[in-house]
Amino acid sequence: MMKTLIKYEFLKVLRKKSTLIAIAVSLLITAVFFALPITQFQIYNQDGVLRGLEGIAYEKEQYANISVPLTNEYVTEAIQDVQALFENPDNIGYDGNEEFLIEDAYWNGIAPRENLLGLIARNYAAPNESVGYNALTGLDVSGGADFYQARQDKIETILNNPSNELSEAEKDFWRNMNSNVEEPFQYGYFGGWEIIISAFELFMFAILAICIVIAPVFAGEYQAGTDAVILSGKYGKTKLITAKIIAALIFGVLAFTLHILVAFGIPLVAFGADGWNLPLQINGTTVPYPLTFLEGTFINLAVIYMVLIAMIGLTLFLSAKMKSPYLVLIVMVPVLFIPMFLTPNGTTGIYNLLVLLTPYQSLVPRFSSYLSYQFGSVILDAFAMRGLVYAILTLILLPLARISFKKHQVA
Amino acid sequence: MELQLQNLRRQYGTKCAVDNVSIHFKPGVYGLLGANGAGKTTLMRMICGVLKPTSGSILLDGKTMQELGERYYTHLGYMPQDFGFYPDFTAREFMLYMAAVKGLDKKSAKARTEELLKLVNLCDVADKKIKSYSGGMKQRLGIAQAELNDPDILILDEPTAGLDPKERVRFRNIISDFAKDKIVILSTHIVSDVSYISDIILMMKQGKIVLQGPMETITNSIQGKVWEVMVDERKAAQYSRNLHVVNLHHEGNLVRLRIVDDAAPAPDASIVEPSLEDLFLYHFSEDVQNERSDDDENLD
Repeated sequence: MMKTLIKYEFLKVLRKKSTLIAIAVSLLITAVFFALPITQFQIYNQDGVLRGLEGIAYEKEQYANISVPLTNEYVTEAIQDVQALFENPDNIGYDGNEEFLIEDAYWNGIAPRENLLGLIARNYAAPNESVGYNALTGLDVSGGADFYQARQDKIETILNNPSNELSEAEKDFWRNMNSNVEEPFQYGYFGGWEIIISAFELFMFAILAICIVIAPVFAGEYQAGTDAVILSGKYGKTKLITAKIIAALIFGVLAFTLHILVAFGIPLVAFGADGWNLPLQINGTTVPYPLTFLEGTFINLAVIYMVLIAMIGLTLFLSAKMKSPYLVLIVMVPVLFIPMFLTPNGTTGIYNLLVLLTPYQSLVPRFSSYLSYQFGSVILDAFAMRGLVYAILTLILLPLARISFKKHQVA
Repeated sequence: MELQLQNLRRQYGTKCAVDNVSIHFKPGVYGLLGANGAGKTTLMRMICGVLKPTSGSILLDGKTMQELGERYYTHLGYMPQDFGFYPDFTAREFMLYMAAVKGLDKKSAKARTEELLKLVNLCDVADKKIKSYSGGMKQRLGIAQAELNDPDILILDEPTAGLDPKERVRFRNIISDFAKDKIVILSTHIVSDVSYISDIILMMKQGKIVLQGPMETITNSIQGKVWEVMVDERKAAQYSRNLHVVNLHHEGNLVRLRIVDDAAPAPDASIVEPSLEDLFLYHFSEDVQNERSDDDENLD
């Protein structure tokens, strides 16, 4: 019985023209956004610029030589190599602000591993300071680079920064998490994953499209006048509501997964899946999470699915409460998109902590932010907190949707 | 099977849509007559459990709707007024879906769907989307879904509204086929529909049942009060203003009036056999007049 009800409720959603239009448009938007980094990709070498897939292939070739563990010895050598290049005045250019390497010194010594050198340089810089390879000239590596000690020092600086307002317990929480990060970091190519982890918020369009599609699940019955006939059926106030909720959830999860496949498929086909097993720290050394790119992606995806399910719950609740699907969307659009304009100005204070829990902000992983929530002795990182908040919302909203439809009066 | 409404009342703000209605239904066809806004739909919605009464109770074989829970709905078939269908479903899909909502197992659902689609003559178009159906086809599908669970109580709210005369006759016949050993409550403001198929007439006005009785005897209340008289046009206008004129027919320079009144409206007036329509118009002439003037205003 339940299977039949779910099947027909699912068909109701699927058969509507508006469903196909909403999902097709959001898939197109997702595909275009995730394809942009490929079409706009460009890399320079001595011969000029290489664009698109050709450029990506060239960059991957360059990375083949630097797919190494970032041991202190390797880092020391890398820094010394850069410093040696800067010792020859013929290699140096000056733009009135800072010195940089030119010609062969740059193309042979820097360009093939500029991202790696930048990563190393930033490891020694102050938090939030943006520096390039030329910052390596000022480092004293006569006694070895001590790359990982520098990382620890930088993390301590972040933890002890008064503006971060972290309690001692929170600091210990992050220190403990950091202690699980494996050293030395294995470096390598992670172009595809870099795009994926920096573009999660684009899935907001998919969530909106799904909310548009499921907004009529209950309100559409009121609008069409079918509420009277289904509510007077034996299971109209019981199993049918469950079937409607399950069908909406199945549709939402499947449609969202389709978006994920398109969104991830495009960069992973173009850039390759290389780097899936590399640590997140090679994209920012102070990342506290002991995760690979694949693990980080999965964890954030799990949070995004929780946000999606809670938003489906909210849409269903509003749908059961309101007279028309349009009214549901009048509420849902601001809920989903206003937080886009609420830029957090840090990771502390009630305002920021709440803004960072809004649906839009919850899609952004913020791997490098030491964002934690403390409740007495319990400390939750951003992922756990978001997961918990959206799980609670789901557990509240779905039963509320159920009760609202059950109590609906056909008047 | 007995359905009892006890002091049923539904209030919207200060307006009482259904006012203290008590009826005892036994198997038979009940024609619920009333002008638009009389409270028929509200009463039916309450019987179907989709609208809570402000007070009063509904009992099926002595048990309240609340006591019976889901079981109450297994006895019920409801065809609401102007209810929408799922335009992208075929008739067969819609029937199977409704069968599942009504709790029929797969095998019974399939068999009953085919049986009913045949009965309402929709077999040939059963796999066509409902959005391609005419009004009459949708009404037939509406009653077919109401019959899916072979209910003991069949509630039909304005089932013939919007149908052409041929479809109405067809529809009345379908209802008669379904009505055997059931409580059928049929609301309409089309008098001829109920007069053909109803056993008992219930007249509803301003939320109250103002008259009820068997079809054969209900007109007794105006027996000896229905008159026919031939008058000139000036007199006809005068009578229309002052008396319950239920029909008016021009015959040359004269007008044949049908009047319901306690006394003879004119010395040459003759008593005629009362009809249900006379009774309806006698009770609802004001409402019908109001409706007409509302319509006129809308047209203006």
